[in-house]
Amino acid sequence: MAARGRCPECGSGSLVEDAHYAQQQLVCAACGCVLSEGLLTTTYTDEEHLREVAYSQSTGQKEQLSRCLQRGIRRVQDLCKVLKLPAAFEETAVSYFQRALELPAFHLVSLEKKELLGGCCVLVTCRQRRWPLTMGTVCSLLYAKQELFASVFLSLQRELGLSVPALSLADLVTTHLSSFRLVQPNANIPAPFLEDKEQLVARTMAIVELASDTWLVTGRHPVPVVTAAAFLAWQSLRPGPRLSCPLARFCHLAGVELPPPAQLRLKELLEILLAMASQLSWLRGFCLDKKTVVKHIGDLLQHRLFLLKRAFSQQDTGLGMSSVSQECQGSGLPSSPAVPQQQGCPSAGQQQQRGTLKPLLPPCLLHPRKRLRAAAPSAASAALTGDEPISDSEIEQYLRSPEEIRAFRRAKAWS
Amino acid sequence: FKDDFSTSPHLFTPMSPYDLELPIQASSQLSQSKELHTDFSSVDLSFLPDVTQDNKEQNLSEDGQETQKELDGSLSSKEESGVFMNESSLSHPGAAQPPPETPGVCPPLTPMTPITPATSASESSGIVPQLQNIVSTVNLACKLDLKNIALHARNAEYNPKRFAAVIMRIREPRTTALIFSSGKMVCTGAKSEEQSRLAARKYARVVQKLGFPAKFLEFKIQNMVGSCDVRFPIRLESLVLTHQQFSSYEPELFPGLVYRMVKPRIVLLIFVSGKVVLTGAKDRSEIYEAFENIYPILRGFKKPS
Repeated sequence: MAARGRCPECGSGSLVEDAHYAQQQLVCAACGCVLSEGLLTTTYTDEEHLREVAYSQSTGQKEQLSRCLQRGIRRVQDLCKVLKLPAAFEETAVSYFQRALELPAFHLVSLEKKELLGGCCVLVTCRQRRWPLTMGTVCSLLYAKQELFASVFLSLQRELGLSVPALSLADLVTTHLSSFRLVQPNANIPAPFLEDKEQLVARTMAIVELASDTWLVTGRHPVPVVTAAAFLAWQSLRPGPRLSCPLARFCHLAGVELPPPAQLRLKELLEILLAMASQLSWLRGFCLDKKTVVKHIGDLLQHRLFLLKRAFSQQDTGLGMSSVSQECQGSGLPSSPAVPQQQGCPSAGQQQQRGTLKPLLPPCLLHPRKRLRAAAPSAASAALTGDEPISDSEIEQYLRSPEEIRAFRRAKAWS
Repeated sequence: FKDDFSTSPHLFTPMSPYDLELPIQASSQLSQSKELHTDFSSVDLSFLPDVTQDNKEQNLSEDGQETQKELDGSLSSKEESGVFMNESSLSHPGAAQPPPETPGVCPPLTPMTPITPATSASESSGIVPQLQNIVSTVNLACKLDLKNIALHARNAEYNPKRFAAVIMRIREPRTTALIFSSGKMVCTGAKSEEQSRLAARKYARVVQKLGFPAKFLEFKIQNMVGSCDVRFPIRLESLVLTHQQFSSYEPELFPGLVYRMVKPRIVLLIFVSGKVVLTGAKDRSEIYEAFENIYPILRGFKKPS
């Protein structure tokens, strides 16, 4: 487009703005005289007057990360390093964090929540790659409140539309037990208490599977179950010196915290094991209690499928089977433990004692704490329309009398 | 509310045979035509304890009264009734026809009717969720002096440093109300829609007697909570695997599974004991419908270990 002014050399008015190698020049179209040229470097004040693209509109602005984002990314990277996660996890977690922080739901929250957001992104990444990281670990690393962390985690899942698979117990067992000092040969722990990691992991895994079959895991926090299972496994691998060691001491030796529900889980596991032990033929003679049953955990686990079927009434077998005398039970079963005995029992023997068996139910159904609610509402309330007349006396019972008001005012309840 | 189908494809698990959409073909059409979720043709009222003649009459008498965007609000319009007449033919073939108690008006326009899914009568659970809590709001349409109310009313508490409303309670129906200085009121704790309305009217009366020109405008049920028991334990871990796009089960955070049903838009809390809590409904039928949708899904997990 033509600029104003005249060429000083030839006097023609046709001035053109042109770019010579991206350097702006004002050139006369007639004689080619260069009237002025743009500077290759500009000062800040010059830039304000130029008609080029302003910095705020250029892409340079967008490429620069905000300080908040930079800090958050650094936090996520530090977390990944502390947890010794593979490098790919870090990239994924950072990308989730960046995506999340752009959303309005997370952009304007408190700094505390933004820190937790980083932890949540790491947790989601680990869950998706089947790396067993518990929320408790992340919370303790971030010094976070569990409720706040939970709310940020759930809203992250919702906002980004991520599908977060459940924590896998098998992986959790392996990871949790690796942190036990009892399996590390260098720790100064008395020899009878040291244990081989592979064996401990295998047996703990079997006990955890047993727990999940018998409804002890659904709806419960996973870590106490793993702790209780590890304790039983450890005791049963060498019962002699270890039976007298309580759970609290075991956790102290292992160098882990004792989660409070672990005692209850232990009790429940022992009850299950005792019920199973009552079905094992060569143990029926013994009078087992919670201590002594530990010695036989190996056998119980080996035959657990069979024993569970025998020890508990399953729902589809129904509760209508009559209980037959105990003699059938003693005589009918072969003594060899290695053969699975589902087909070996006589039919009479199978039907026996179903009536005396406990049902295999979650503990909350076996020991209900609340009394059951009353059923349907009464007929009187059923006939309610919502438009009944309201008597004055009923309303007046809610109003203060003048004496009360005076007394209240004197007391000056609200000053 | 983010539609869970927006998750990336490779994470989408194929629907189980107990697809949410399938069992409610008929009812979904019914509900889509009426945005206020009213008036489904009753299919089987026999197990409902409190659907009575009075409820139906109440709906019809609402016409001239103050505007209510409630469940029964749309009854007065003829075209709704007309649409409803057509849709009653979609009703469940095996269902009992409702008794014609209101002559001259099309068959039961009660909001209290449930929907049984159109699949088969044999799948109907026979379990009715009980309503546990109703939250409703009403506009008293006048500015209120909360200090004055707290001084003159026995059943009121007011602590402005903690919360900017008066908390008032009445004994019958046993409910609690939050009364704000703008004149808006929230009423909670009732066990049925009628109770909630009656309670709200009582609170409005109390405010009137305290000398304020309180009216009773825009009464609306905002939330309904129901609960029931399917009577068998449920494997929550398996449920979250098959219904990943709707379920959220985090045993580290909460012992129950949170199931966000899309149609109707209800949130269900499912526990290992078989107890189910349904919330987020604006109408009783949504709760019944949601339970009838979830029951076959839960039945699929009823099995021994």
